[in-house]
Amino acid sequence: MTTSALTRVLLLLATVIGVSVFVSCKKDEEPVEEKDPPIVEYTGVNVVASEFPFEKLSDYRFYTGEMKQLIPNERVLPYQPVTPLFSDYAHKSRFVWMPEGVSASYQSDHTVFDFPDGTVLIKNFFYDHVQPDDVRRILETRIIYKKNGEWLFADYLWNPEQTEAYYSLNGAYVPITWIDDNGNTRDVNFRIPAEAECHTCHKANQVNSPTGVKPQNLNFDYPFSDGSMNQLQKWIEVGYLENSLPESIVSVADWTDESLSVDLRLRSYLDANCSHCHSDDGHCYYRPLRLGFSQTADESNLGVCIAPQEYINETLTHVISRGNKDRSVMYYRLNTTDQQYRMPLFGRSLIHDEGVQLLEEYINSLSPGCPN
Amino acid sequence: MKSTITLVLLVITSVMMRAQQSCETAVQAYSGLNNGIEMVAMNGPAPTNCMFLNGDEHFTWYYFIAPEDTGYVITSDLEMNVGLDTRIGVYSGECGSLTCVGFDDDSGAGYLSTVTITAEAGEVYFIVFDDYWGGAAVATPLMFDISEVEPQAPVGNVITFVTTPITGLTGSECIVDMNGDFLDDVVSTSGDQLTIFYQQEDGTFLNQTYNAGPVMNTPSWSIAAGDLDNNGYNDLLYGGGGGASFIWANEDGTGYHETHDDNYIFSQRTNMVDINNDGLLDGFVCHDIDANVFYINNGDGTMTHNQGGLGEWGGNYGSVWIDYDNDCDMDMFIAKCGSDNIDQLHRNNGDGTFTSVGAEAGIADPTQSWSSAWADYDNDGDMDVFIGASSMGSGGHKLYENNGDGTFTNITEGSGFDAQDGVNIENMPGDFNNDGWVDVLGAGSMFMINNGDMTFSPSICPFYLGPCGDLNNDGYLDFISGSTAYINNLEGNNYITINTVGTESNKNGIGARITVTSALGNQIRDVRSAEAFSPMQSLNAHFGLGTDTEIEVIRVCWPSGIEDVIYNPEINTALTIVEGSSPSKVEESAKTGFVVYPNPANDHIRIDSELGLNNSDVVIYDMTGKLVQSGKLNLLTYDVSELSRGMYVVAIQKNGETFRTTFSKQ
Repeated sequence: MTTSALTRVLLLLATVIGVSVFVSCKKDEEPVEEKDPPIVEYTGVNVVASEFPFEKLSDYRFYTGEMKQLIPNERVLPYQPVTPLFSDYAHKSRFVWMPEGVSASYQSDHTVFDFPDGTVLIKNFFYDHVQPDDVRRILETRIIYKKNGEWLFADYLWNPEQTEAYYSLNGAYVPITWIDDNGNTRDVNFRIPAEAECHTCHKANQVNSPTGVKPQNLNFDYPFSDGSMNQLQKWIEVGYLENSLPESIVSVADWTDESLSVDLRLRSYLDANCSHCHSDDGHCYYRPLRLGFSQTADESNLGVCIAPQEYINETLTHVISRGNKDRSVMYYRLNTTDQQYRMPLFGRSLIHDEGVQLLEEYINSLSPGCPN
Repeated sequence: MKSTITLVLLVITSVMMRAQQSCETAVQAYSGLNNGIEMVAMNGPAPTNCMFLNGDEHFTWYYFIAPEDTGYVITSDLEMNVGLDTRIGVYSGECGSLTCVGFDDDSGAGYLSTVTITAEAGEVYFIVFDDYWGGAAVATPLMFDISEVEPQAPVGNVITFVTTPITGLTGSECIVDMNGDFLDDVVSTSGDQLTIFYQQEDGTFLNQTYNAGPVMNTPSWSIAAGDLDNNGYNDLLYGGGGGASFIWANEDGTGYHETHDDNYIFSQRTNMVDINNDGLLDGFVCHDIDANVFYINNGDGTMTHNQGGLGEWGGNYGSVWIDYDNDCDMDMFIAKCGSDNIDQLHRNNGDGTFTSVGAEAGIADPTQSWSSAWADYDNDGDMDVFIGASSMGSGGHKLYENNGDGTFTNITEGSGFDAQDGVNIENMPGDFNNDGWVDVLGAGSMFMINNGDMTFSPSICPFYLGPCGDLNNDGYLDFISGSTAYINNLEGNNYITINTVGTESNKNGIGARITVTSALGNQIRDVRSAEAFSPMQSLNAHFGLGTDTEIEVIRVCWPSGIEDVIYNPEINTALTIVEGSSPSKVEESAKTGFVVYPNPANDHIRIDSELGLNNSDVVIYDMTGKLVQSGKLNLLTYDVSELSRGMYVVAIQKNGETFRTTFSKQ
């Protein structure tokens, strides 16, 4: 039994004894009740500010039934940004939970909601068809929890038996061989981040923050268990979001939707994958790129015909060279696994072929030549 | 299209020859529009000094006889060339000894090129087109134009190079001696493998590949070198994106193995330096997103991880260990960027503790910088600093002069650095023309030549900064960039190269302060591992002497506190100085306190001393610092019959103190 669990049992006992004592005081002279009092076991989510983070993922009771099925407990709501961050082809499932009686509020289309204390965002990383047993393997569950106005990180590493996940922010590597969605066998040495890595992407002006939970990313339908529905409306329905949204929300696009313009798809992709660092208050603020969707209507923020500030080789003359991917630093950086050149800095050790393909299409869609 | 004054459009020359593949077969070009030929795939002799080369270029050669003393614009930036991709290099001189006078890649529209030169009437200029950058030969005949302009002050090309292939080399970030002969070798790494190109006496290289694996962290962000176990063979420190690895040479440099721990580090600059001054080099690793990490050397092949106290959370990019306050211990400066961009100076208190003093020293600089270049740029006896901007967003390039009292003054304005608007992550000092004034390679990949008055003039650098050292043992600093060796082909100035060999201090003498005094004044160097952002530079201290033909004195202050003084050394050669081999007068009277006789010795030496040294430990080193014999003094006598002829250092240890002097064996 872990310390925190033991503490909880003792607290529970203390409560029972306290109640018993109170009862015994009322009923003067009567002996203390020896029989076990009827305890209604509380089965909802268990988030305790003073005990965050728990040692084990199961302690939170985010899931019901067999934990590895990731079936959300009551009031644990799944969500899905329409264009997700690429994480070495790992699959992800995300959930949000808030205490009773509080809700988040809208700030702007492209700003993370103003969440109440107690909010928990949960993100599970897993691969399907993991070899040799061709099974799903959940690797980690990342949690961001808001306490006293600050976001705290926790990460839980799943055991190979997939029965429990244990707290660690030291980082780890997990080698995985799996069969991908196209039927190809692939290898990855999956990186589970250390706390400093979490902070590097999840910070705004050095303060921890979630990244994906913005109106522009969630203004899309999700197949909830009781039917498909716009996620923002769902959040309002369950009380997780104040009903104060504007009439229309400027939203990113589904980067895989080939019916949409390449420009829109690429800007959405870069928002999801790059904007956390390439923003006014992100890790790479001192470089000229601004890759948030709300800023990339301006081509120069995308790096089109902008000279790079870091030398890689002499053929790379612009961040994006119109019509010429081989002259484009962004293409080079997305299309390499070399640690010192690859982008994003974290969260990727494989090349995201489909993302690179989209970037190539975008570059080719620009009329060639950058003026000097 | 760039606005150029096209003067003479009259002479249109149709060039028909297809033999213009080399300097010797160049075809004449004229003022006005030149109707060029189709470029054909060829690999003729590469021109040097103007262009980045990668061995896959195709050159087309023209020559032009300047009609007037004036400026000329040579350009491919013409309407009919829109969509093509060109590079132009322009040279003066004769085939075989060309000097670059101008180069351009993309300053025209798209990828077209425009070069402006200042010409002398009647002089021949070679114009070389390269078609590589389009990825394929330019398919259409390339037109170009030559027109007169007002002559402009030229950007110099003062530091010139010839490119010399090193057989088998594909790239390197590390130049350092790896086999103890003090000739700089070239180290190339690839995963578990390590290939060392050993410099031979005749200037050629012999390579050997070793497997050091499994190597956990590759040097993707930086590499540093030094002799961690003082065995005469340098070891390596790899700064990787997820941690650091140490690569250890075995007892005779014929094998390597790796050690690492599981601590996460987003490594940036790595250094080797004896942080706790115990005679063993330690490893320092800048951490981009957390407090800096340092590994204390346990002396048994293991390193102990430490974090905190030498630069806290975030933005730690370019550490360099220097002695800014002239107390013969190594302080540390960190060029910072991003999360916390305020540069830091950590003063070594001499007792294993450090104090952050950047603000009071006046160099808590906000420029977004990944590296700095420390040297005594005005030869006044203390280290000044150039901080190179990696982005102009929080201030530009900065030059600070050391006031000699622990503070610095910003003297950027008018220094020449303020006129440079290029940015880069690599900046390093070096006397690249051996004139006795330390220059800078940086400020956006330019040679900034020290004019001797704290102003600097730009000179084209034909490559991107890579590792630096002396690859042909001629006393001039050379480079590797990509797979190409750039051999400095300047000559004429005098020099001395000093190889430091520690005995009580670490074997490399990293942290030693060397002062060379000649007619032009005092020059100082710290022995450092490493500088700039990524690469490792030679550990041999390199001094240009200009036209000075003699050195009055060289002083070395070692991390141990020992000081050596050498008078009137030979110049234009390398001098190896062993710690304690030439004690200063103060040392001799105060500390040596003993005489060795007979000197020269035959079979025995006897010690004449009032220090009560009988039965003390005796250690004898040769002049390369190699321990050759050890034992105990018996009746103040010690047997040296096994030693071969030569000079030796004898060190006698008693009660934790070491007394040393030199003697000669017959």
